[in-house]
Amino acid sequence: MTKTAIHVDHIARVEGHGNVHVVVEDGQVRTVEMNVVEPARLFESMVRGRPFHEVSYIASRICGICSASHVVTDLLAIERIFGVEASDRTNALRELLVYGSYLQNHASHLFVFAAPDFLGHRSVFPLAETDPELFEQALALKALGNELCTRVGGRSIHPITAVVGGFTHELAPGEYRELAGKLDAARPFALAAVDLFRSFEVPAIQTAGDMLAMTAPGRYPVCDSRTARFLDAGVEFDADDAACEVEEYAVGHSAALFSRVRATGSPFFTGALARVNASWQHLSQDAKVAAAKAGLRPPERNPYLNNVAQAVELVDALERCAALCRRLAEKDGFAGSSKPAPFEVRAGKAAGLTEAPRGALFHELELDEEGCVVHASIVTPTAQNCANLEADMRLLAEDLVRAGAEPADIQLQVEKLVRAYDPCLSCSVH
Amino acid sequence: MSGTCIACQEGPSAPRVVVAGLASCFGCQLQITNGEAHLMDVLGQIDVRYWQLASSDPMPDEFDVAVIEGAVTTEESERTVRMLRERAATLIAIGACATTAGIPGMAAERFMERPGQVYDRVPDACGAMIAPRPVSAVVDVDFEVRSCPIDTLDFVDVLQRALYGSNKQFATKTMCGDCKRNETSCFYGAQTLCLGLVTTAGCGAKCVNLGRPCNGCRGLSPDANLASAREAVARYGVPVEEFDRALQMFNQVNPALAASE
Repeated sequence: MTKTAIHVDHIARVEGHGNVHVVVEDGQVRTVEMNVVEPARLFESMVRGRPFHEVSYIASRICGICSASHVVTDLLAIERIFGVEASDRTNALRELLVYGSYLQNHASHLFVFAAPDFLGHRSVFPLAETDPELFEQALALKALGNELCTRVGGRSIHPITAVVGGFTHELAPGEYRELAGKLDAARPFALAAVDLFRSFEVPAIQTAGDMLAMTAPGRYPVCDSRTARFLDAGVEFDADDAACEVEEYAVGHSAALFSRVRATGSPFFTGALARVNASWQHLSQDAKVAAAKAGLRPPERNPYLNNVAQAVELVDALERCAALCRRLAEKDGFAGSSKPAPFEVRAGKAAGLTEAPRGALFHELELDEEGCVVHASIVTPTAQNCANLEADMRLLAEDLVRAGAEPADIQLQVEKLVRAYDPCLSCSVH
Repeated sequence: MSGTCIACQEGPSAPRVVVAGLASCFGCQLQITNGEAHLMDVLGQIDVRYWQLASSDPMPDEFDVAVIEGAVTTEESERTVRMLRERAATLIAIGACATTAGIPGMAAERFMERPGQVYDRVPDACGAMIAPRPVSAVVDVDFEVRSCPIDTLDFVDVLQRALYGSNKQFATKTMCGDCKRNETSCFYGAQTLCLGLVTTAGCGAKCVNLGRPCNGCRGLSPDANLASAREAVARYGVPVEEFDRALQMFNQVNPALAASE
């Protein structure tokens, strides 16, 4: 009997702590586990009893990269409970904030985390020597995402200015125009990134499960729709019904809860690839052309192409944010003011939904009459992705074993797959 | 605080640095990478031997400086911190989680009841959970970089001091003075709670400058006079219970808070 065990302790170049465990026995893949060993910080317990105005501040600390998404998701839930209608201007600023985290996240993930695998490095730093232009442009794009978050939210991580009903601070028109110019200038590099990631060779696998994305008629939504859809099952639901449609369950080997489609029992993928599949026709012009050129068209089911989908979203985000900035610079570009709208605290229960950089993010909150949290449920993209990632790891390992691959190669390909999912393990455990 | 110069002690080779993450959002490690334009200037002075977030290289047995992000929330993390302390000449704690237990520290009270509020059955992968605590509650810490998240340039400054030595002392004044210098109007004038009057200064009153009260992410200042602050809070018509509740966000495990009640 031959037994090969592949164990990657603390997989590198992902956010958070996770181990990968694969056992192959007599040519059969026996065990495939994604052990999420990130320490649980117990946010859902932590926010109980806290006043509503602290909730987004606390929940933002779930994740350094998608802090803006956690903040906006909480604000949407709280405003729904209080019956606050945010102005168009506030919604535009929130979109900018979420897109700022897309630029940060996708640039960091693609170049700092994923690219070294394909370029034969152990980290991004050797790139400073071997391809200084790529290194500098990649860091510059990440810096632009930081700048967008900093200008709109007050700092690149854990935004300050976004509060219930609006923003505590806003930019001057000239600053918006300056940002728009910088966003335009970054587009050629983002377009080149699509080509670069398309040129990397990846195993031809088809994901095992369903896909989940926010949808809206005629748009590519990231934070202004309450509807999400399982693309294969065809199940569409409101954010308030997320707990009914997305079934969370515990497994012993992961501190993150796993998820499946309640209606079908299937695991599912959420993230850039699911969004591109759901709303391909509503990508910006440049992004759509880049996607078509890269051969990325729905239905695309190879999870490795999440990397290409993220690069396409970089192009899309740059174009969209430049347009938003130009409109915000106009005196009456958006209706209403971003000054926090007045509201009355009341009891209730509601969920917020955004497309965080890594996928659909739900925050369900129940508040008492004083506006303090009675119950909170936070369902993050990576927690939703874990079951599907494990299923895809198994498919991949089976293919590689059948082709007679060496353990070292299986390990590298599995690691690449994990990184293609762009997991945020600190988010997944929270 | 260590006053030795590691860069000199180690001769011509660059000081060997490891970066480790415990319970946190990883935001402070990201802030290091957010040095973009200066990133290679900083990394060029040191030899980064381990950084799980950025590189596949495994943890080495020998190094000079350990940078720790995150709160200690498991027995495994406690062992990691002890190991890092034993091997490193200099230990730097970065961010609120590592320096005050930060937001994870909010769960410290009645900690053992909490996993059951989140999980029906607590997964084995959670390890042996212990009530959150800062790194300094486990081992001696040489340098701290405060705030949630850290400021990138603060990190560069502290790293320079750790590498080359410095007599500069950690500032202990409270933040109110910064607002006065910035000529910012005070939230208490609008009967709005702000923790600047007891929080360690050094951020330049970033949040207040953007219209949001201080939430105390740099932790209680050793100079803070809590009794007097409570009187002031009440005088301005803000309920003292709200002030005390807000302080739990970044100071839940600070013995000074418990002692003042």
